[in-house]
Amino acid sequence: MRKLIAPLLTLLLVLGLAAGIYVSVGEQLTQQRTVTVRGLIGSEKEDFFRDPRVVEALAKKDLAVELEKAGSRQIATQFKLKDYDFAFPSGAPAAEKIKREAGVNKAYEVFFTPMAVASWKLIADILEANNIVRQREGVYYIIDLTRLLQFVIAEKRWSDLSKNEGYSVKKNLLVSTTDVRQSNSAGMYLSLASYILNNNNIVDSTEQIGAIIQPLESLFLRQGFVENSSATPFKDYLVMGPGKAPLVMIYEAQYLEEASSANSGLSGDMTLLYPEPTIFSKHILVPFNDKGNKLGAALTDDPELQKLAIEHGFRNRDAAGFRSFVKNHQLAVPDTLVNVVEPPTFEILEQMIMMIEQRYKRN
Amino acid sequence: MSVLKAILFVFVTAILSGCGEKKSESLAVLAGSELRDMEPMLGDIESNTGIKLLMTYTGTLEGAEKLIAGEPTDLAWFSHGKYVSLAQGDKNRILAQEKTMLSPVVLGVKESAAKAWGWADNPKLTWREIAAKAESGELRYAMADPAASNSGFTALVGVATALSGGGDALAPKDIDQTQLGGFFKGQQLSAGSSAWLADAYVKEQGRLNGIINYESVLMGLNKGGQLQDKLALIYPQEGIITADYPLMLINGGKREAYDKLVAYLSSPPFQQKMMEQTGRRPVIPQVKLSADFASPLLVELAFPNDLSAIDKLLFAYEDQHRRSSHAFFVLDVSGSMRGERMQSLQTTLKNLTGQDQTLSGRFTRFRNRETLTFIPFDNRIYPAKTFTIAEPDSQGASMQAVRQYIDSLQPMGQTAIYQALQTAYRMALEARRAAPDRFYSIVLMSDGESNSGLSEEEFARYIRSLSSQDQGIKTFTILFGEANQEAMQQLAEITEGGLFDGRQSLSQAFKTIRGYQ
Repeated sequence: MRKLIAPLLTLLLVLGLAAGIYVSVGEQLTQQRTVTVRGLIGSEKEDFFRDPRVVEALAKKDLAVELEKAGSRQIATQFKLKDYDFAFPSGAPAAEKIKREAGVNKAYEVFFTPMAVASWKLIADILEANNIVRQREGVYYIIDLTRLLQFVIAEKRWSDLSKNEGYSVKKNLLVSTTDVRQSNSAGMYLSLASYILNNNNIVDSTEQIGAIIQPLESLFLRQGFVENSSATPFKDYLVMGPGKAPLVMIYEAQYLEEASSANSGLSGDMTLLYPEPTIFSKHILVPFNDKGNKLGAALTDDPELQKLAIEHGFRNRDAAGFRSFVKNHQLAVPDTLVNVVEPPTFEILEQMIMMIEQRYKRN
Repeated sequence: MSVLKAILFVFVTAILSGCGEKKSESLAVLAGSELRDMEPMLGDIESNTGIKLLMTYTGTLEGAEKLIAGEPTDLAWFSHGKYVSLAQGDKNRILAQEKTMLSPVVLGVKESAAKAWGWADNPKLTWREIAAKAESGELRYAMADPAASNSGFTALVGVATALSGGGDALAPKDIDQTQLGGFFKGQQLSAGSSAWLADAYVKEQGRLNGIINYESVLMGLNKGGQLQDKLALIYPQEGIITADYPLMLINGGKREAYDKLVAYLSSPPFQQKMMEQTGRRPVIPQVKLSADFASPLLVELAFPNDLSAIDKLLFAYEDQHRRSSHAFFVLDVSGSMRGERMQSLQTTLKNLTGQDQTLSGRFTRFRNRETLTFIPFDNRIYPAKTFTIAEPDSQGASMQAVRQYIDSLQPMGQTAIYQALQTAYRMALEARRAAPDRFYSIVLMSDGESNSGLSEEEFARYIRSLSSQDQGIKTFTILFGEANQEAMQQLAEITEGGLFDGRQSLSQAFKTIRGYQ
């Protein structure tokens, strides 16, 4: 018997080794096919890219993604873009800045999301009593953005408002944003505020900027220390209550993503306010090479990835998909937003940001 | 049989290489001293992430200064990152940061006093009313030095913002110096760290009735069973400032490990356990606040975005508003100090006259209105020399006079530590009887053992013999050269002061002690 065992074991071992080699070669081949694409993204898209379904859908296209988060405007100013395959900022102006910095013409408009204000029912009710907010079909709209900005600029305090019983706080009325020098969501607020202060017209000249730059600066400088990236103010909103910041400028997608997640951090006393007009933040992928191109094309064209983007609260060409997402999660969200303004041109917005930056330096 | 061995070999190799992959990675962390209480959780962190955190602790400005100067570290973890973010300018040392825990800096007041003043659970109470009680002398509180400790720093920014009106972030022109002066009249104990402050409050709870510290530290005191009168936590109407403990990525090569750490630190199991063990608030909504926490509307004051406002505030505090201090420096000039050691001592002291322009140097220099008494000793006690700083400028007459004196020190003779210290106590007590509203402290720097004059026992007996109103002047001892660590530790304990190691850097030891003076 013993004489038989040795050759048998040898055979088994050889077979086993062969199988092992076959499997590992197969794995290596797959790994070789998979392209790892390295990029810089705005922080609000992190959860989308970390979603296992997204990872899998990308793997089907032989793509794996390695990420670093940064403020959208920071991407263009503080990183060596050559070290990356793509950048995926928020906002057309930030994408334009990156395109110019990297000398790239091509870009992919992957999805978009309107700007909205994360707040509390308690706060919405006070603003409603002060004729700034109105509820229609279960959705809160900031119907008088001009009046709100006037209050902000006049340094009114919450304790100055009427019917403010639940929030008679000494803080001045301010809309909290990220750092306008680094991040797109603050730039979107700047775009919107500049439109309102310019008598409901898109700012298109240096003279027009000169007339409104002082109140515009005060919207940001008076906030004090602010964060570089959009995810942090929203996390603070979820945890720190209305005492931290009663009005937080965010992407609608951030709120919807949280509202639809299984373990949502939103509570019944929170609500979203839609400014009228609002502004869309386009999320544009800028490729720096072929790998970046491949990712851009996959995110834009693959129906599954487009569906998954909706699951994370973004809007895209698939309007029906977005409607059913909203319905499935019973979200109080306007289907379509009609009152939407365009941001000013890249040059104009840049000029306003640079002027505000100068003010920061003068301090 | 050789085949069996071969199979065994293959298996063993496979197992070993599998183990190799799980080997844990070590990351260096430059951490604020407030994070010492995370030590018991480091094991959890390692077993869940495979990452071992090697903590090096430091003070607020010292840590900021090290980061900006480019000190090599993988991560930094402070109670807040706003000052470093502002002070780093264009250096961009912080590659990523994520909040890990929350704890507001608040005022704790003895429950009996809070009731008597109508402060308990009073949502209308303002910082202005608190400042008035401090100014009248009724509120006597402990607060850490803002240049040395984050809790003191955060409190100073918060109070100044609230007293200036509290509508927006503080700008230099808004700083209300009169109100601030009133508020800081009530500060009767200072310290270089939040934890030391809490211990000192316990020892001195008889004469104090309030303490400013992290909510988590105050809750810990209430649970600790050492307080005669528990503390009511006060959340004034204008608001407070919350420390948010960001974990910061400094070394870009460690991004993967950093992401893994952040994912674990913001997971519900960690957040739950952290809340239970440290008394800090969670940063994720999935972990609900336990019933231990007060849950009023926590109004958060804006933090300034303007370094000049913060600097102006710190200097106003140090040079104008805090109680002026009288610091006694008992300096060993025995023969063993000859050469390099003497030079090091002289440079260190002269740096404190405003010559050190580093971040930590600027805020630890001798302050306006401060009185300094130098008592050099060997086996004899040399005549003490006293200076009062009349202007904080490094080129001003006061600072120049101090420098000239320091330069004149000559090493010789033997070492009579206790004799010299007793001389310092006698002088300090006399000074305090004449001017009780100042902070008094003694620093003892020696590089050797006492071998002359009074013995340790005789000195201890002297300290114990002091009447109750003469107690409370602390001695901070500095280890240098061949100093006897045990004896220096003993001295610090007898006088309720502290021991600081100056063997690595004498200058750092002196700067750290400045927070307690």
